[in-house]
Amino acid sequence: MNRTAILPLVLALLFAAGLLLPALTTGYWLGVALTFFMWVGLVQSWVILSGLTGYLSLGHAVFYGLGAYVMVLTWGQMPFELAILSAGLACVLLAVAIGVPCLRVRGPYFVILTFGVSELVKFIVVNIEAGLGRAGRLIFGAPLIETLYYWIVVLALVATALAFLVSNSRLGSGLRAIREDETAAETTGVPVTRLKVIAFALSAFVPGMVGAVMVLRTTYFETIHVFNPITSFTIVTIAIIGGSDDVRGPILGAAFLMILSETLLVNAPEVYMIILGALLILFVLLVPKGIAGGLSGLLARRRREGAP
Amino acid sequence: MDLLLSPQLLASALVLGTLYALLALGLNLIYGTMRLLNIAHGEIVMIGGYVVYWASTLLSLHPFIATIAAALGAALLGVALFGSVLRPMLRSGELMARVEANSLLIFFGVSVILQNLAALAFTASPRGISFLDEIVEIGTLRIGADRLVVIIVGLAACFGCLALFRLTTLGLAIRAIIQQRDAAALVGIDIARTNMAVFALGFGVAGLAGGLVAMIEQVSPFMGFPYTIAAFIVIILGGLGNLTGSLVGGLLLGVVETYGVALTSASYRSILLYGVFIAILLIRPEGLFGKRRQR
Amino acid sequence: MSLLAIDRVSKQFGGLAALSDVSFDVGAGEIVGLMGANGAGKTTLLALIAGNLRPNGGHISFDGARIDGLSPSAICHRGIGRTFQIVRPFAGLSVRENVAIAVMYGPGGERHRRRAEEKAQAILDAFGLGPRGDDLAGSLTLAGRKRLEVARVMGTGAKLLLLDEVMAGLTAAEVAETIELVRDLKVRHGMTILIIEHVMKALLRLSDRLVVMHHGRVVAIGDPHEVAGSAEVIEAYFGKGRA
Repeated sequence: MNRTAILPLVLALLFAAGLLLPALTTGYWLGVALTFFMWVGLVQSWVILSGLTGYLSLGHAVFYGLGAYVMVLTWGQMPFELAILSAGLACVLLAVAIGVPCLRVRGPYFVILTFGVSELVKFIVVNIEAGLGRAGRLIFGAPLIETLYYWIVVLALVATALAFLVSNSRLGSGLRAIREDETAAETTGVPVTRLKVIAFALSAFVPGMVGAVMVLRTTYFETIHVFNPITSFTIVTIAIIGGSDDVRGPILGAAFLMILSETLLVNAPEVYMIILGALLILFVLLVPKGIAGGLSGLLARRRREGAP
Repeated sequence: MDLLLSPQLLASALVLGTLYALLALGLNLIYGTMRLLNIAHGEIVMIGGYVVYWASTLLSLHPFIATIAAALGAALLGVALFGSVLRPMLRSGELMARVEANSLLIFFGVSVILQNLAALAFTASPRGISFLDEIVEIGTLRIGADRLVVIIVGLAACFGCLALFRLTTLGLAIRAIIQQRDAAALVGIDIARTNMAVFALGFGVAGLAGGLVAMIEQVSPFMGFPYTIAAFIVIILGGLGNLTGSLVGGLLLGVVETYGVALTSASYRSILLYGVFIAILLIRPEGLFGKRRQR
Repeated sequence: MSLLAIDRVSKQFGGLAALSDVSFDVGAGEIVGLMGANGAGKTTLLALIAGNLRPNGGHISFDGARIDGLSPSAICHRGIGRTFQIVRPFAGLSVRENVAIAVMYGPGGERHRRRAEEKAQAILDAFGLGPRGDDLAGSLTLAGRKRLEVARVMGTGAKLLLLDEVMAGLTAAEVAETIELVRDLKVRHGMTILIIEHVMKALLRLSDRLVVMHHGRVVAIGDPHEVAGSAEVIEAYFGKGRA
């Protein structure tokens, strides 16, 4: 079989299986699959910015949270499909607004800056809600979990497709040039600021919509939960464990995470977090290209050694 | 208006400022010499706090002694971490380059591990010790004795450190490495040994701060992070490698935060802190050590 | 007709005057050599022309229009390309992609990635890097990387080339090859070139005119051989009493 056709085929199978799942099972495993596809959607989006440009965002929870907030604020006032789209667009706008100043900051400072922005927005919303006299918000009449599930699978597909298209486009080459050497890239004609902001905006679109859908699943909105820095941390950890060089990485990483969380999260959440932290450190130091990169390396070596 | 001008508020500002100054000194040391962003700094404070809590609760150690123990323990932890993880890495150039570039993520992982280890071991409920709860009167100022101790001990530690930097050979070596790491190696400074001392000092100071915090507040596994953020703000404000700047910046931030919250409300504390944090990072986009980007 | 006009340009870094009152022209199709001791301000001048730095005083004009103050990518779009003193390839990307990026983002603005890669391959072939197209740029030798950097600039379709010590660190044979390469750029491609070099042989062979700088000022301009032997230049390099 032609090697370049394998990846799209596997992905197609994955998403097809995903869409068929509600016909086969309900309840618990559907929830697990939903969480899996949620992470896929979030991490593929993150990769569009951070994987390609090297500007690591540790604040992506801000888009998830804002998306959720848009949903609760507009609940009942418009069809929820429109609300989801609005959530995505609101996050794109936010990304453009904060991207221009923030993307001038490089390296580790960008990382803590994004973290700081996410926390700042969180506390602003906390104060807004307190000012409105709200401690939390309930959502009544949310769609069925099957509907939400389809939405998440579609969003994961959109994010994966977006990541794939950007990576293989002219934009992707420019972003990679920025990662390799931003000054040289600019001297070679790459409009670095414009491209970085575009990547940032694209990386915010799906997470916003994911946040909007997920708040319908929990039917309860609490600011501290939706703007949780652990969400940002988990996204980064999945990307580093799975690899961020191509679309396989986030999928592999999310799968790995689901296995880990299924065994540990409910019974020993602290142990789960400790292992996650340890894995982050381990992979950053020793396996920087993640599982996907490791696989590629293994395949490349096999090919070199055993070429018929 | 009365509140603003009260010596009470000033005392509160001093307490906070002293803690911030102490923390910033430790963080500045490690970042200045090794370019490592120790975002787990607040967790060392948390550990120091727990040491004092358990030492005084279980062993009935006087909190003073417990605090010294916390500082020493933290210093030993720093030495252990350096010796086991970082020193072998220093030898491999490529690995070290990766550590520096990814130091934030790595230390973030360390921070998550420490927080959850503490939560696992001690549960998440906050714990407090009662220490010197009597009120002391100085003129019109009425301040808890424990808070007074924090100010005195904290400032003493800060000035002790500054004296170390100014007056000892070790201090000179540290300042040399901060200024120009490669040149320092060339003139014969033992980088590895000095770095180990830096880790010991940086962690030890954080442990000490933790003990002081335990005297006046409750400790919990997730208490460390706001202190880390504050320390970062201070070292950016005070200037990197500028150890005196950390002292001044710390006190300044304590004042700004205390008075800022008094002027608005407690719920704005985080907004203020993170707002200042972001503003500073945006004003100096080339980061902490970078030269002002010439255009 | 001058393509590049540098008019009383000065640049300070804090208290240090890196460039003071520098003026000269570069005509279309010329190769102008720029020489001077380390610290004379040559690379600073190049950085000012390319937009990486902004002058404190004076103007820089290209093709009749002012360019000082524009961003590096805007200046690249006007047709100026530069190489760096310490080579800066996109090390983690393939050799071909290095040039393809120039083709896509230079003034040509090739939107199609496939077509850009084809054009890039053609440029690589012309520069003798054809067979290395798929290799990582970081795997090339120093000479290869320097050559790649020039190829990358060519990919942008630049009219004016700023070369910063392209011969540094090369063997005698590689230097000879590079001299031919640069001459070829002028003769066959009609490029205008401003070249900084310490390798005198290269400067004397390539330059139509030579500019000598010292402590941020121009001390001599003119025919390469005359200038190289002139009293001012010898004094600048060796001090008084040696001319």
